[in-house]
Amino acid sequence: MTDQTPSGRDSSGRFVKQAAERVNAMSRTTEEGIHPMSKVLFGWTETKNIGAILFWVMGALSLALVAADLLIVRHEKIAFANSVGFYGIWGFLAFSFVVLMGWPLGQLLRRDENYYGDAGGPPADIDPDLADAGAGQKSEGGH
Amino acid sequence: MPAFLADLNPGWLLILAGLAAVFTQPRVIRQSITILAPLVAILMLATAEHGVDHLTFEALGLEMSFYRVDSLNFLFGLAFLIASLLNAIYALHTDDRLQDGMALAYAGAAVSATFAGDLMTLFIFWELTAISSVFLILKAGTRAAYFSSLRYLGIQILSGVLLLDGIAYVWHYTGSLSLQAFTSLNDPGAMIIFIAFGIKAAFPFMHNWLQDSYPKASVVGAVVLSAFTTKLAVYAFARFFPGFNELIWIGAVMTVFPVFFAVIENDLRRVLAYSLNNQVGFMICAIGVGTAGVGNALALNGATAHAFSHIIYKALLFMSMGAVLYRTGTTKASELGGLYRSMPWTALFCIIGGLSISAFPLFSGFIAKSLTMSAVAYEGGHDPAMVVVWLMLLFASAGVLEHSGIKIPYFAFFSHDSGKRVKEAPFNMLLAMGMAAFLCIAVGLPAIIPGFGFSWLYGLLPYPIEAAGYQPFTLDHILTQMQLLVLATFAFILLKRLSLYPPEKPGTILDTDWLYRKVGYGIVRWIDTVWAKLGPAMTAVFRRLSERTYDKMVATFSPRGVLARNGLSGGMTIWTSVILAVVLLLSFLTS
Repeated sequence: MTDQTPSGRDSSGRFVKQAAERVNAMSRTTEEGIHPMSKVLFGWTETKNIGAILFWVMGALSLALVAADLLIVRHEKIAFANSVGFYGIWGFLAFSFVVLMGWPLGQLLRRDENYYGDAGGPPADIDPDLADAGAGQKSEGGH
Repeated sequence: MPAFLADLNPGWLLILAGLAAVFTQPRVIRQSITILAPLVAILMLATAEHGVDHLTFEALGLEMSFYRVDSLNFLFGLAFLIASLLNAIYALHTDDRLQDGMALAYAGAAVSATFAGDLMTLFIFWELTAISSVFLILKAGTRAAYFSSLRYLGIQILSGVLLLDGIAYVWHYTGSLSLQAFTSLNDPGAMIIFIAFGIKAAFPFMHNWLQDSYPKASVVGAVVLSAFTTKLAVYAFARFFPGFNELIWIGAVMTVFPVFFAVIENDLRRVLAYSLNNQVGFMICAIGVGTAGVGNALALNGATAHAFSHIIYKALLFMSMGAVLYRTGTTKASELGGLYRSMPWTALFCIIGGLSISAFPLFSGFIAKSLTMSAVAYEGGHDPAMVVVWLMLLFASAGVLEHSGIKIPYFAFFSHDSGKRVKEAPFNMLLAMGMAAFLCIAVGLPAIIPGFGFSWLYGLLPYPIEAAGYQPFTLDHILTQMQLLVLATFAFILLKRLSLYPPEKPGTILDTDWLYRKVGYGIVRWIDTVWAKLGPAMTAVFRRLSERTYDKMVATFSPRGVLARNGLSGGMTIWTSVILAVVLLLSFLTS
């Protein structure tokens, strides 16, 4: 971006203007619908093999946390909670159990979306642009 | 502060401001009212004298106290007022007089009930929360919201009627409606009031009004609803039923069962509603610890701190899903994904809410939940049954991470790219989310500077001396929580890599509301159909029977009837008198 500041303006004014322009650019979503801050905040999630990296990093961190139990003396009121890695193992098993129970429970309890006959669209206070687009699509479909 | 404001319940100010907002057409003036009213109310509360009945009134022989602040209700009221302010900011992009007004009146009713100095005042504002909040569901404007709002109102009014019934018992047997805690469920009226509170707190089998209504409310309405009703019930339990052991088990069950529903639920606002159930369970469980009628200082501190933190981070999570709904028109996990590209700030705030509710160290959930977990573990040291409760709460903590810490942000903002490219949330929504996120972090920080971080919250708890003696940031506390959460997160990554994580599918998940929405409704429909078909036939039968009876009577007793043909009717009168005389004589002799 070229500097349009008049030559007589002092350097601090230029600095403020440039900073303001930069902030403005960072808050403006591109035509492709990509927000510039998404790269800054979450660009790392697009790293190649991020799944594998997370797996190994979290695996190593988990081991380190369990190993830390060997160094830290606990003063738990419930005796077995003093065991090495108790909380980690309990957290891992509890989480896995809940998730795996999702398979049979889904089979047992999931019904059609309109099971109670009240499946409907979004509430009235969604983005007016979106509501207009939805209404336009409906009327086109109607014709 | 003017004298008349010092004695006015801050909730009343919100109610009056809410009513004024309903009739204020200019948007700028109305929205100024909705923001200024909570700010002034916070100031009023901050300067209120504790332990004094500020506004009393006598009617029909009842001594009513409309405004009483003490160490137990202060933090609940403060959290409600902060939530009210956040809600007003979050709603600035809308131009809806009824919604603005009712949101404020609802908050005001909850605050007024919290600071009520007697049971009757509590009842009045208890009912007002039900009536004012139903508009927030209706404002969604859908057929589903309409029917849901009717069910919601029916159940809330049932709670109110039971409360009034219980109050009548208390008044009849004790002659007092003071805020005295019960000591047993056998106390007059205690059981009925317990059930009335239980309905509002969404106890197991009474919980489905919550999952039925909140996700069907408007974008703004769901955020407002998340803050008040259930936490008002939590306060009511802390006030009237501290140390009731029944609450320990009810609370423990409440923490566990929603976890399983949340994992298979596709609508992310409904997942948050289940998560709300789960969090209220922690608070209810904490209230139940200790001696009946007294409670346990550490656990009651835990319930109160948890309620305060929860109101903020749950509002934040509902706000983030509201922003997603506002921009995309859906919160179904199966239709979302990859939204961090378009809504990175919303994603960030949602993650902060997720970290808070999961109780990661340095976030508000950690310093609040630690109190409850420590209180239950302490009891577990000498009571084997409490070990089971403690394990249930630990299990539920991993469950919270699953549905609110991971599922919500992951399926909305990451996961597979849904291809939706939308604008970031409106600035006012981001501002409200930013303020809530700031509170989640600020309250969860270590107290490096005295009076800041968690020590600010601990200083406002019902038992501040006990709170000051509790240190959440010890090495073993942090390690405990990190082990639990990091290994649970690792389980998520592992299950995803092994394709063992159930896919998000559209559908309706059956819950206990099936009993009244399908079975109950089916029975009513059946009775209606049977009546419609049998009604005319039964009417005809009755008509024929009555006609024949009439004909018989005419044929027997009329001047031309059977009885008139033989002998004098005067003879019949004499015989009747004789029999009556004999009966009377026998009665006198045998009595």
